[in-house]
Amino acid sequence: MNRIQAFMIHTWILTKRSLIVLIRNPFTFIPNLFISLFFLLVYTGGLSGIAQLPQFGGADYLSFILPVSIVSAAVGGAGGAGQSLVRDLESGYFARLLQTPVTRLAIVLGPTIAGMLQLIVQTLIILGIAFLLGLKVEAGPGGVLVILLLTVGWGLAFAGYSVAIALKTKNAQAAQAGTLIFFPLIFLSTTFVPLELIEAPWLRAAAIINPTTYLFESMRAVLIDGWVMGPVISGFAVIGAVCIVTVAFSVRSATRAFKRE
Amino acid sequence: MGEGTIQIKDLVKVYKDGFTAVNGVSLKVNKGECYAFLGPNGAGKSTAVKILTTLSEPTSGIVQVGGFDVKTEPDKVRWEIGVVLQETGLDKELTGREILEYQARLFHMTRRMAKERATHLLEMVGLENEGERQIKKYSGGMRRRLDLAVTLVHEPAILFLDEPTTGLDPLNRKAMWNEIRRLNKKEGVTVFLTTQYLEEADQLADYISIINEGKIVASGTPEELKDSIGADLITFEFKDEEAAGKAAWLLGKSGKIDYQKGNIVTVSIQEADRQVVQLLKDLSGEQIEVARLDVSSPTLDDVFIRVTAEEEKE
Repeated sequence: MNRIQAFMIHTWILTKRSLIVLIRNPFTFIPNLFISLFFLLVYTGGLSGIAQLPQFGGADYLSFILPVSIVSAAVGGAGGAGQSLVRDLESGYFARLLQTPVTRLAIVLGPTIAGMLQLIVQTLIILGIAFLLGLKVEAGPGGVLVILLLTVGWGLAFAGYSVAIALKTKNAQAAQAGTLIFFPLIFLSTTFVPLELIEAPWLRAAAIINPTTYLFESMRAVLIDGWVMGPVISGFAVIGAVCIVTVAFSVRSATRAFKRE
Repeated sequence: MGEGTIQIKDLVKVYKDGFTAVNGVSLKVNKGECYAFLGPNGAGKSTAVKILTTLSEPTSGIVQVGGFDVKTEPDKVRWEIGVVLQETGLDKELTGREILEYQARLFHMTRRMAKERATHLLEMVGLENEGERQIKKYSGGMRRRLDLAVTLVHEPAILFLDEPTTGLDPLNRKAMWNEIRRLNKKEGVTVFLTTQYLEEADQLADYISIINEGKIVASGTPEELKDSIGADLITFEFKDEEAAGKAAWLLGKSGKIDYQKGNIVTVSIQEADRQVVQLLKDLSGEQIEVARLDVSSPTLDDVFIRVTAEEEKE
């Protein structure tokens, strides 16, 4: 068996393991999914009226708020990758794996892939419910694919971050605390209204430097305006850049964790 | 070539903070041998095991396991070894069968082979009825047994056990000993174990090294180590003081009278278990009747206490 075959098998086995553990513990993802759906329903129900403002350009508020719900759900799946590694570190399974000839990358990749699959399923559930609520995607099925890709990209960026924190701190509480970064990421942005309606200059500045803003804007573009390439491209570019940073950070932490003292 | 063997030459391990955990250890373990590292907490036992099992790198010295260098060929070493650490390494959300099958698959077995191997190992450690339960529902003893089974999935030639029975109740400890003995004697697996318990080393090991503060301070077979502390003791009880007096005079020719009071005589002598027959013959030749006798050998405890005490004096 060559190295690539070995790598594929190791990654598949460890992904399968993460998925089984995930399915056995539904309460690791149900609350997060529930909150995200709650966002969707409550904000759509309560704030729809403000979509009458000219700054919304006639958009449906459901389409406007949907990306917030999708992105907040994605945090759960992506953060799970780091949580799972912390669990392995604490149970000693991580050390056990290190004593086998398992490809080191597979140890990190297994939980990450499982997290991405979880995130895709969650996104499809949210989209399904949004369709039941009357969602129309201006860019058509291709637009749905763009949303999925952006979500996976964002999830990967967040997974990279959570894996890095987990391997760096080797501590469940710290890894948990690390996910709190999701609050400023989601809420210091064009979360509820377009940039033009944000009055506080500090929040406006925060929204402009927050990568999540570009993610929201590109999702909204395909949902509301159709194939407007400007925001879509900047969305992918920003998410790609963030991914590179966090994945590099996680590779660095992983190299340290795998390096023998 | 070096299958099933361990060779260490001048191993030194200095941690980043400057602490020297292992300070010039050399040793050799032959194929099929059971070798014990005996020492108190913090003696450097676990550090040595971590280096031997590729979790840690030596600062200097040569370490070869199964004929491969741990520093340059860690992956080849990993195919040769099985490791049971002090803490079990189990994902407790999985079932016993799942973790065994995954381990087998990670060692490149086919799905069918993995299944068969898992069934066989579950039976071997007496968990055949628990295989479908989640590990988090297992008792401590069951987890240890499963942990050992996971370690044996790829039939390693060398088994490392870091304090394998620490925290186990006497029943589980005995069971673990029997299993280690079976693997070592019946299946020819080379065993390297660390322990704080002298009894454990005495029970299992062919060869023992006592390690203290990162150095081997004494080594030999259990018998050699015990001999090194001195002679055995034989205590005789006679029917009266007069018989005891006569006997003491006679016994004094073969050994050293250690103690004499009333009808009791204790003689200090090498290889008491062999000498005792001759002594009894001598006594009956003189018409001296022995009422009771007791042969006691120095225990490893005595060796251990003496060796570590000598270290402290220095």
